[in-house]
Amino acid sequence: MNRKAVILLFGCLLLCGASVFAQGRRAICINEVMVQNDSNYIDDYGRYQAWIELFNSAYAPIEISSMYLTNDKNNPKMYPVPRMDVNTEIPGRQHVVFWADNEPNKGTFHINFKLEPGKDNWIGLYDADGKTLIDEVLVPASLGANQSYARKQDGVKNEDNDAEAWEVRDGSDEKYITPESNNIIIDSNEKIEMFVEHDRYGIGMTVISMLIVFVCLLILSLAFRAIGKFNAKLAQRKREEATGALASAAEVDRDPDSGEEIAAVCMALHEHLNMHDHEDLVLTINKVKRAYSPWNSKIYSLRELPHK
Amino acid sequence: MELINFLGQNLADFWSFTGFANATPGHIVMLCVGLFFIWLAIKHDFEPLLLVPIGFGILVGNIPFKIDAGLEVGIYEEGSVLNILYNGVSAGWYPPLIFLGIGAMTDFSALIANPKLMLIGAAAQFGIFGAYIVALAIGFAPDQAAAIAIIGGADGPTAIFLSSKLAPNLMGAIAVSAYSYMALVPVIQPPIMKLLTTKKERLIRMKPARAVSQNEKIMFPIIGLLLTCFVVPSALPLLGMLFFGNLLRESGVTTRLAKTASNALNDIIVMLLGLTVGASTQASEFLTWSTLGIFFLGFMAFVIASASGVLFVKIFNLMLPKSKKINPLIGNAGVSAVPMSARISNNIGLQYDPNNYLLMHAMGPNVAGVIGSAVAAGALLGFLG
Repeated sequence: MNRKAVILLFGCLLLCGASVFAQGRRAICINEVMVQNDSNYIDDYGRYQAWIELFNSAYAPIEISSMYLTNDKNNPKMYPVPRMDVNTEIPGRQHVVFWADNEPNKGTFHINFKLEPGKDNWIGLYDADGKTLIDEVLVPASLGANQSYARKQDGVKNEDNDAEAWEVRDGSDEKYITPESNNIIIDSNEKIEMFVEHDRYGIGMTVISMLIVFVCLLILSLAFRAIGKFNAKLAQRKREEATGALASAAEVDRDPDSGEEIAAVCMALHEHLNMHDHEDLVLTINKVKRAYSPWNSKIYSLRELPHK
Repeated sequence: MELINFLGQNLADFWSFTGFANATPGHIVMLCVGLFFIWLAIKHDFEPLLLVPIGFGILVGNIPFKIDAGLEVGIYEEGSVLNILYNGVSAGWYPPLIFLGIGAMTDFSALIANPKLMLIGAAAQFGIFGAYIVALAIGFAPDQAAAIAIIGGADGPTAIFLSSKLAPNLMGAIAVSAYSYMALVPVIQPPIMKLLTTKKERLIRMKPARAVSQNEKIMFPIIGLLLTCFVVPSALPLLGMLFFGNLLRESGVTTRLAKTASNALNDIIVMLLGLTVGASTQASEFLTWSTLGIFFLGFMAFVIASASGVLFVKIFNLMLPKSKKINPLIGNAGVSAVPMSARISNNIGLQYDPNNYLLMHAMGPNVAGVIGSAVAAGALLGFLG
């Protein structure tokens, strides 16, 4: 393999590694926040504290240790999520709640800052380098007691204006608060409901799916038709080049043979006819060692597999 | 006396654990079904590589035992050996591995040489959607209907893959139905082919396929993957492995891997897949009215698929010049029962013209059917998954 290929391979591997890393951590997002928790959700010490819920929007588990939670843009490394805790690996499509009680000694999920009721609270989630902002949210000052600020759908962001992806929830039947659980409880498959409603006889599905199958195979067919034609042209050109080369070689052959060539041919013929006259008469007997004998073979003592 | 009582009590306990004490009529029926499958495979050579493991799996899955004893032997009991092996089916990773083997075994030359034959493979997928329409009419929900309809693709691994995602409770019946009808392809297809074609059409001779260069064979899996999976990413597990296996075969530098994928690995997965699918057909799950419906729909799907492939060729011929006409007998090969349906095309063709060998022409739509059914499964999974 030449040097260029090795460099190219390394480049590709680095690129793949970088993208895998980025894809993984970027799937973590801030999903729901409660600033003033008077009587909502109790922590593991039996107290009501403000909380921040993170959600893993990927379908694979993601380790969040060494990421940073902060409420200060100037100090992105405010709370590093501790390492060596098995609970910091969030399973796919699962949640984890951090208690904003400014008491980090109580455990991994108790962070070293508090959220302030009646004020705008900015919360940021940074990657392990402390520079890459993974997600952020500005919780409005108007958020009341026992109200949460939550994404309308778990992990779904609005790239143009992320504030539109959030809503205030007051704990009512329509706007329920869901720490460590999905913000929307899905009890049916929307896609199937849609097909039941709009495509009762399956005609739509049949038309669309057959179209997809045909398009896929038609594209493949056209691609290989083109490749086949290109290949045929290439082969034709090679044939023509070869024929051209032969023609020019034939022209060269028409030139009178040089003396050197004639001498070389004569020497080759002489060697071929005269050099090996003695060896043909020599007989050689080599001892052949055969360790194997059918008499000691196990295979003959076993029953053969039956054949039909 | 106490000793006799003690022994009697233990014997009674032991009896309550035996299959005799726990057998139900359902178990007996399923054991007979398993024996019937094994008989079909050994006596009549119907897909023996699949029907022997499935038939024996049915026996394994229907040995009666005391369910509440916590023996951890049943396929649905968490942590049992069979349950661990069944994970490959329920989590859907056996079918892609089978596709890896199929890719490593399949020579796509016939398809590359005559790419328009791919469209026959697409047309035959109408069997899937025809059965989907009938399944909806019978009263199945869309996801269940799709899982059942995929039987029409005549592709066991694809049927298992899709049903494990869309209707896991029906998967046993769907898999058994798919493999049963694949075994019965030589019985189902010929009458349909003869019914839909004239004698003149059956005598059509096709031009021999051109030679395909090694470069084209190498490019096929790469371009095939990119083009199909960009359109239907949900088919990636199946198509990705199919094309990967084919690249191993055609690249010429990974012969060892191709051999393993097409021989040892494929055989291991076929054994485990067949056995666990068979074992998953426990009487309580299998002996239902749904199963009857699934078998009926599976048959419908096969008939529609075979007929639509043949009819498509006849329509396609109307647009082709006389010298490039396609023999409609290769239309049935659009279903992906490789290479059985291609062999049927060849045999029927030889019945009418002893010198008209259609096998290589039929292999084109046959392998296109493998791709087509995987794409159809991907589309259904994308819409309903």
